[in-house]
Parts: sequence; structure tokens; C-alpha cells
Amino acid sequence: MIPVSYYLVLGAVLFGIGMFGVLTRRNAIAILMAVELMLNAVNVNFIAFSRYLPNSTLDGQVFAIFVIAVAAAEAAVGLAIVLGLYRNFHTVNVDEINLMKW
Amino acid sequence: MQAVFFFVVAAFTVATALLVVTRPNIVHSAVALIFSFCGVAGIYVLLDAEFLGAVQVLIYVGGITILLLFAIMLTTRIATRVDVFNEQMGLSALIAGGITAILVYASLTGIQIAGEAPAPVETTPALGRLLMTTHVLPFELISILLLAAMVGAIILARREKE
Amino acid sequence: MPGTYNPADVLQALPEVFLASVALIVLVLSFAAPARRGWMETLSIGGVVGTGVLLVWAAVPLFQPGGSPVSVFSGSYLVDKFAIFFKVVFLIATLLVILMSIDYLPLVGVPVGEFYAILLFSTVGMMFIASGGNLLTLYIGLETMSISIYILCGFLKRDQKSNEAALKYLLMGAFSSGVILYGISLLYGLTGALGFEEIAATLATIDLSNPALLLAMVMLTAGFGFKIAIVPFHMYLPDVYEGAPTAVTAFLAVASEAAGVAALLRVFLGAMPHIQVDWTVLFWILAALTMTIGNVVAMAQRNIKRMLAYSSIAHIGYVLIGFVAGAKLGISAVLFYVLVYAFMTAGAFAMVILLQTETVKGDLIEDFAGLGQVKPIAAAAMVIFLLSLTGIPPTAGFVGKFYLFSAAISAGYVWLTLIAVINTAISLFYYMRVAMVMYMGEAPEGLALSSSRPLHAAVAFAVLGTLGIGIFPQWFLKIAQASVFGLLP
Repeated sequence: MIPVSYYLVLGAVLFGIGMFGVLTRRNAIAILMAVELMLNAVNVNFIAFSRYLPNSTLDGQVFAIFVIAVAAAEAAVGLAIVLGLYRNFHTVNVDEINLMKW
Repeated sequence: MQAVFFFVVAAFTVATALLVVTRPNIVHSAVALIFSFCGVAGIYVLLDAEFLGAVQVLIYVGGITILLLFAIMLTTRIATRVDVFNEQMGLSALIAGGITAILVYASLTGIQIAGEAPAPVETTPALGRLLMTTHVLPFELISILLLAAMVGAIILARREKE
Repeated sequence: MPGTYNPADVLQALPEVFLASVALIVLVLSFAAPARRGWMETLSIGGVVGTGVLLVWAAVPLFQPGGSPVSVFSGSYLVDKFAIFFKVVFLIATLLVILMSIDYLPLVGVPVGEFYAILLFSTVGMMFIASGGNLLTLYIGLETMSISIYILCGFLKRDQKSNEAALKYLLMGAFSSGVILYGISLLYGLTGALGFEEIAATLATIDLSNPALLLAMVMLTAGFGFKIAIVPFHMYLPDVYEGAPTAVTAFLAVASEAAGVAALLRVFLGAMPHIQVDWTVLFWILAALTMTIGNVVAMAQRNIKRMLAYSSIAHIGYVLIGFVAGAKLGISAVLFYVLVYAFMTAGAFAMVILLQTETVKGDLIEDFAGLGQVKPIAAAAMVIFLLSLTGIPPTAGFVGKFYLFSAAISAGYVWLTLIAVINTAISLFYYMRVAMVMYMGEAPEGLALSSSRPLHAAVAFAVLGTLGIGIFPQWFLKIAQASVFGLLP
């Protein structure tokens, strides 16, 4: 049986990759994809803990199911917003969508 | 044997995830994302969470990425190949790398789970029971969330009548 | 009791069940009888008021001597005074927002039924945040609230700023959810539990300088920092406030911020009381930064919605002072301030809507010019809100700040209080600038206000709250103090 730390490192690396994507991508859909990677990283953590914790209660797996459901809802709403945006701006690059200044 | 399988799947997942965030062409990113999600599903199976593996494939691969591909088709002209990164590439890599290092350090030093993991049990029936008993309240609440998201997505994406 | 489900538990969650049912009926009406706007409005208002009645009914035994908190659904739902207090704040905010929206929505062309249904869904999510007994319920409540608000922000489909606001809020929200979730997963890994009580009990037995624990704390702080816009995680907020429909902005500023504070209190006080020393230092710095940057940048704004956005960032900074001070005094001051803040901020946004007509958008500070001469009553109401936001007696804002600052001083945070007092002086400039414009400025030709009765009622209600709490603070403070029991050891 391999140690739990392997999975945790995988989760951390995936989270970092997702964060890099969020920081560098300009396309709104690509940013959403990077966020999905971050959520997957979290789920790897949850399920690894759920498997390895002594007297495990499966709570981690339950949490992961909920995270997946929320991610799906978020993606649906996000893409609807992107479609509406494209109709008005004719672009989905976040740095071109900047009517308001910080 | 298990370790070998883990390293193969993990390397595959990380490599495809890197492709997702670095490919200039967004369609390539979306396809790489499909493979990355499949890799994560493999990890779940390795962790004896077969149900989660199936859900991952059904919802992420079958649902979310298809949705993403549709959105890409509707909003991006395939012919145009713009640079899809902003200027702070180096800085972002530094930040993300630093955060990853912190996360790895904290997970390795902070989490000590002593002893062998418990023997695998069949999780699917137990999960179903948990969702209907202990966690029934969030389970009901998320139906409201999904309904709101569904109605909202329809309203926002619907073309307005002139 | 794990692994069991007692159907009688549903009775404890009756207020939420009732409100969600009303929202569903409104949603069905919106496509079954889209022309019946009045029905949907009446039903929504009735739903909020009815939920309030159910809540008060549930609260009566709790506030009696010997009344103790109830935990149902295997610990995922708590009925305590803290939850009831915040739920009442959410319901007041929702009621004010509905009153503001009744004539505003047709003016800007927003589908009515869907708007109210999603607004009420969002309120249901908030109520679950306040009652959440474990991280799962809290998280799902948070997402129900947030996803509903992303949608509401984008309801002005032809307005590019509204599109932009929705996108920015969604991307920031999704990102911050990821950060919060990572923190939650670490807490779960450390303790093997999701319930606040179990987590606190396990944390009491482990080494508190554990890097994973500190990382979990930092990630939760950053994640919630995004949600309630603590500096340096506030960058998106002014754009969202400016772009969203004004009624939604009011909802964001009042209800969503209050829900964020409720979540913060539940997680940090409920699950991590043992590392209070660590997070107090962190939040000391964040509080000082948040109020200073909020106030300084607010001075430079021309758009009143942006100005109020920075002002709400500054007010979150003040709220954090009470959080840093901690103990019964500090936390009850936080609760009291959240209530006060709901009335005065909702009132200020209602004034912005009041100025909006078919020809004037009314979201620039200049649009208030001459209001003092032409519409003295409306101008007087605005002055009351501005005085309260600044913190000048006899308004509620003064009492709220007074309690926050005295809690901080009695806990020994003199420097932080000094920074806050200086900030209050800075804020006087930009709040009073609006008053100056109203009384010294020249009114444009044919200045008209919205003639909406419900909107006038909302303004009147907010004035009543702002002055009422300011003049009779004792009663409200007593409730706030009673409400922190159960949350604190």
C-alpha cells in the first residue's frame, strides 16, 4: 500500500497547475477549465483522506460528490454568462472586457 | 505494483493538466482536460472509490467538458489564433510554483496518518446510505442550488426577443 | 446518531423549507402566469415576512432562561441564537431589496418572477450558512448563495457592465471556492471530521504549530477574504458593485456580506478556537489594511455605487476589529454592527435607485446635485444614512462603532482603534461630499425621483432602523449579546 503523502503531493501539484492557469489565461473559458483542475485537486485530497484516515467515515467521499455537483452547476452558469458576454463584446478574453477601471 | 500504477496515472494526469494550462489553442486545452479528468478518475479507482471514479467520468468527462467544448465552438473563431496568455507569465509561474511548494511541504510535514489504512470496503451502498441519512440536509439543499443554476443558465443564455 | 434520519428534524428547519417552497411557487408562476406581476411580488414579500414569523416563533424558547441550542440532522443543522440573529438580518435585507426592486425591475427590463425566485433561493442558502453545523452544510449554503448572486448580477443582459460584473464575480467566486475547499480538505485530513464541534475537539489534542493546520487557516482566511472582500482580495468588488443591477448591488452589499461574516465566525470560532492567537495577528493586519485602503480609495470615486463599494470594504475592516478583539464583547459588537450596517447601506442604495428614472441613471455623485433644495425629505433621508455610515450620533452607525472600538480598547488593541478613528475621520470627507453636493449643488432642470411607493417604504424602513437603533441601542445590543452564547465557550 503506497503512503497517503503520494496522493497529497499529486493534489498539491494539480492545485498549483490550476492556479497557474487562472493567473495566466486570458480566455474566460480557459480560466474556468483551470478552476476545474483546482477542484479536482481538492477532490483527490478528500478521497485520499477518506481512504487512509483511521476509522474513516466516508465523509470525504461525500464531500467530493458535492464538490462535483457544485462544479457542474458553476460551469453551466459560467458558460451561460460567457455566451451572453460574447453576444455583447464579441470576445471572451477577460483583459479586453474592461469597461470599468479598478 | 500499485506504486507503479500510481506513478503512471499521476504522471499522465499532471502532464495533461500542464497541457491544459499551457496550450495556446483552447480546443487543444479542452481535449487535454478530458484526459486529465480521466487520469483523476483512475486515481479514485486506485483509492477504492469506484463510485467516485464513475461519477467523475460521467459528470466531468461526459458533462462539463462537452459543455466547455460547446461554449468554445460558439464563442471562438477557430481560424483566429491569438496569444492566450497575459503578460505576467513569469510572475504567475513563480507564484503558483511557490504556493505548490508550500502546499507540498505542509502536506508532507503536517499530515501524519499513522498505521496501515483500513481494509477496503464496498463504498457505494454506504455512500448512498450516508446521503440519505447523515448528509440528507445538504443533499436537499443542493437540489435548490442546481435548480437555481439551471433556471439562471437558461435566462442568461437565452436570446432576448427584439 | 450517525447514520440515522429522524423525519421530525424537518420541523426545526421549517423557516427554510417554507421560504424555499414560496420561491418555487414564484418560479412556477413566472412561466405559468407571467403577466401576474403583483402576485409574485406579494407572494415574495409574504414569504419573507412569513419566514420571519416562523423564525421568531422558533426563537422564543431559545431566548427564555434555560433555552438551549438544538442540533438536528446528525449535527448538520444548528438552531441557536446566533443562527436566528443572522437569519433575521438576512430576511430584513431581502425584504428591503424586494421593496426596492418592485418598480426598479420593469424600469430596467429584468424578468420579474425569475428574479424573485433566485433572490429567495439565495436567501435560503444564506440561512443554511448561519445554521450550518458542519463544513459541508456551510459550503453548500455558501455556494447556493453565491451561484444565485452570479446569476442576478448578469440579469441586465444588454448591459455590457452587467455582463462583465457577472463574469468577474463568477471567476473570482469559483477561484475562492477552490481555495476554501483546499483549506477544508486539510482540516478534514487533520481531524477526520467535518462537524465544527468534532474538529475543535480534535484540534485541542494536536500540536498547534502543525504546518498543515496553519496552512488550512491561511487558505480559509484567503478564501473567505475573497468572499467578503478583505484587502488585498477586494479588487473585483467595485466592478461587480458598479455593473450589477442596483437592487442586486444592495443585496450583495448587505445580505451577502453578512452571510460571509456569519460563515467566518462559525468556522473560526466554532472549529478553530484553539489557534485564536494565530488568526488574531493575521486579522489585525487585514483589518488595518482593509479599512485604510477602502476609505482612501473611496475618496477618489465619482460613481456613487463604486464609492459605496469601497465604503463597504472599509466597513468590513471595522467589523474585523470586533473579530480581532474577540470574546463576548467583541463578537457581540460584530453582530450589532452587521445589523446596523444592513439598514444604513440598504438605505443608501435605495436612494440610488430612487434617483434612477427613464432618462437619468442616477449612479453618479453629481446626480444628487440640488436634491436638498428640490426634494428636502429625500435629501434628509440620505443625510441620515451618510451620518450613520460616518458614525455620527444620534444614528445607529455611531453606536455600532462605539461598541466595536470600546471592545477593541478593553481587549488592549489601542493602536488598531487609533487607526480606525483616523479612518473614520477620512471617511467624513467623502460621505459629506455627497451631502455638500445635495445642498450646495445646482439641481438640473426637471429633477424627478422615482414615484415608487414600495421604494419609499424601503427608504422609510431603513431610516426607521438607522434612527431607531441609534436612539434605543440597549435593546438591540442585549439581543446581540445573547446571540453569541453557544458560539463562545
